[in-house]
Amino acid sequence: MKNKGIIIFLIILAVVIVVVIVADFTSTKPGKQGENPFLYDVSEFKKVDPALILYKETKDLRIKFDRPAGITYNDGHLFVVGDSLLQIIKTDGTLVSEIALPDAPECIEVAKDTIFIGFKKYLAVYNMAGELGKVWEPFGEKSVITSLAIWNGNIFIADAGNRKVYRYSTNGKKLNEFEGKTSDDVLHGFIIPSPYFDLAVNNEGELWVVNPGNHAFENYTFDGNLRAYWENSSMKIEGFSGCCNPAHYAFLPDGSFVTSEKGMVRIKVYKPSGELSGVVAPPDKFKDDGHAPDIAVDESGNIYALDFDKKMIRLFEPLRALPE
Amino acid sequence: MVKKLIYISFTFTLLLFAWASSGQQRFPKPEFENGYVQPSPVTPEPRAAAMEFFDVIVLLVALSLASYLAVKKRSRQGILWLSVFSVAYFGFYRNGCICSIGAIQNVALAFADPAYAMSITTLFFFLLPIIYSLFFGRVFCAGACPLGAIQDLVIINPISLPRWLRKVLGLLPFIYLGLAVLYAATGTDFIICRYDPFIGIFRMDAEFHMVVLGISFLLMGMFVARPYCRFLCPYGVLLKWMSMFSKWHLSITPSKCIQCKLCTNSCPFDAIDFPTNEKEVISTKSNVRKFLIYAILIPVWVVAGGFIGSKSHTFLSKANPNVYLAELLIAHPELKNDPDNIDVQTFMASGKSLETLVGEAKVIRNEFYIGGWLLGGFIGLVIALTLLNQVIYRKREDYQPNRGDCYSCGRCMDYCPVDR
Repeated sequence: MKNKGIIIFLIILAVVIVVVIVADFTSTKPGKQGENPFLYDVSEFKKVDPALILYKETKDLRIKFDRPAGITYNDGHLFVVGDSLLQIIKTDGTLVSEIALPDAPECIEVAKDTIFIGFKKYLAVYNMAGELGKVWEPFGEKSVITSLAIWNGNIFIADAGNRKVYRYSTNGKKLNEFEGKTSDDVLHGFIIPSPYFDLAVNNEGELWVVNPGNHAFENYTFDGNLRAYWENSSMKIEGFSGCCNPAHYAFLPDGSFVTSEKGMVRIKVYKPSGELSGVVAPPDKFKDDGHAPDIAVDESGNIYALDFDKKMIRLFEPLRALPE
Repeated sequence: MVKKLIYISFTFTLLLFAWASSGQQRFPKPEFENGYVQPSPVTPEPRAAAMEFFDVIVLLVALSLASYLAVKKRSRQGILWLSVFSVAYFGFYRNGCICSIGAIQNVALAFADPAYAMSITTLFFFLLPIIYSLFFGRVFCAGACPLGAIQDLVIINPISLPRWLRKVLGLLPFIYLGLAVLYAATGTDFIICRYDPFIGIFRMDAEFHMVVLGISFLLMGMFVARPYCRFLCPYGVLLKWMSMFSKWHLSITPSKCIQCKLCTNSCPFDAIDFPTNEKEVISTKSNVRKFLIYAILIPVWVVAGGFIGSKSHTFLSKANPNVYLAELLIAHPELKNDPDNIDVQTFMASGKSLETLVGEAKVIRNEFYIGGWLLGGFIGLVIALTLLNQVIYRKREDYQPNRGDCYSCGRCMDYCPVDR
């Protein structure tokens, strides 16, 4: 037969074509789908190289809050707010005092012998004995106060609802406010899709504000001018991901950033330059898709994480001195 | 052969440029570098409306140019370069979507479902080649269709298929067209897109089995010229009908045929009709009898086809996800608790009740019943007319392109020694 080889080749190809089409048509039916190729699986990102882990969990302090809200450290004591309560606890877990609050608190900061508690729309000032000093006027209808920082007679207030940072004197006099815009015609300043908006002042007196939508830390002068920033958007261990991270942070004594992320919950340490130093607690230490723990740090670099899901304060101590 | 290699090399170079210029996504994807493979979406990302209209203009220009090159200029060379462009632009750059062939389904669904909105550019892609075919023959197939063009470029050693085989395989496009319209109109599937053998090659992201399908067609196309166009393309059916009545059509010779027979083997698609040999024509009396029998049998074919089609409606409707899911859940209610069954879990998460699903499935199955009658009747009619066509005597004195089957590729023109 003429072209016998070609004809056999063509018949084989025709069979292949028919088999491919029939097999695909009969296999892609509901219920016959294999593994979901579009499954949002980030489990690989939850794995952390053990060499990166610089801290170990040494102690857990149970707290009796149904809804823990915030934590800070001052002079050997932990100040924890939640429900409608303030608890002052020694670092060994001994309860020192318990103060009832008029409302559900959001955040707390302590300066010398004065306690500032942020509620959703206003601030209240207490002394160490738990006596209410002054209740500030509400900041606005849309206010959601999420963080406080104090430095040298100034108190900085993060308002996630209005996407602003307010600067007041600790006496309650408003000094200025800013939105994180370099000029008025800039469309976006702080990008805050959910009420996670943290700020702190380090030992050098530098105000650093988290811009969570940009996964960025921004350093502002007290007048609200941007001086420096660093950012790292990534699902990898060295970056921040999701809509709004880091959700909380605090400074180590050397100026390093201790960050806490929500979604894929993890606590990490960054050098003052923004370079990752290591991991305090990897995601497997926390509940999947849990809340980002609030962070407090003592003079020795120990990290206290207020775990909202497990309702406990978890102490992480450094395995070795942090690299310079 | 050298020329062919030049064309193929040029096409490859163009596709590399298209690949390089495909651009970056507006928002970078997460860095899934740890074993996770990002699946490719089924359809390419949408283009800006302005670009879609630009594509329509490009199609219009390509069709006009193909018409000019085939009918007026008579340039095979020009048509070949146009094919190269179409593969690069409509194929690799535009990722083959939306194409005129697949637009059949959009049109069918738009007719069947008033809630389905079809874009105006899709309608242009569907209509323009048909309109051009009505005036100039299948010039879309000649140089503007990326699927046809990529097959045309790989024709190396075409063999002629026996007439009976061509006739039998030639029924497949009609069946494919009928099924495609039925599945699209019932909202079941766009099977033309799903089984487009070259789309994965154009997008360079095909799954393995689709790569096998595409390569199989291209390998086959080395010996059986344009196998997809001739024996599967459903759009070719519409173009064939239009082209048969085309006002101007490519001709082998620019003036009078000198019967040199040089063109007889030039067409790799067996689309040249030879002059009729009076001696071979069977007696008129016998022919008339056959004609009458076949003509009388037409309604029988249509009814028989419709009956078989209607009886197949249960089987055909199983391709519909709602029908299949309803049957699955009735037969295996325990699957509701199977967390690994994505489709069942998606249905459960929708909040829809099983009764609602079954109600929808019944409506769809009824549509398939009606559609089955129409599909079967259509196929029966096509078979009947194909048989009838065998006994119709058409007198031809010259070598002529078959207006229905000719792709206006212009190969035959190159063989014709008549210059003017």
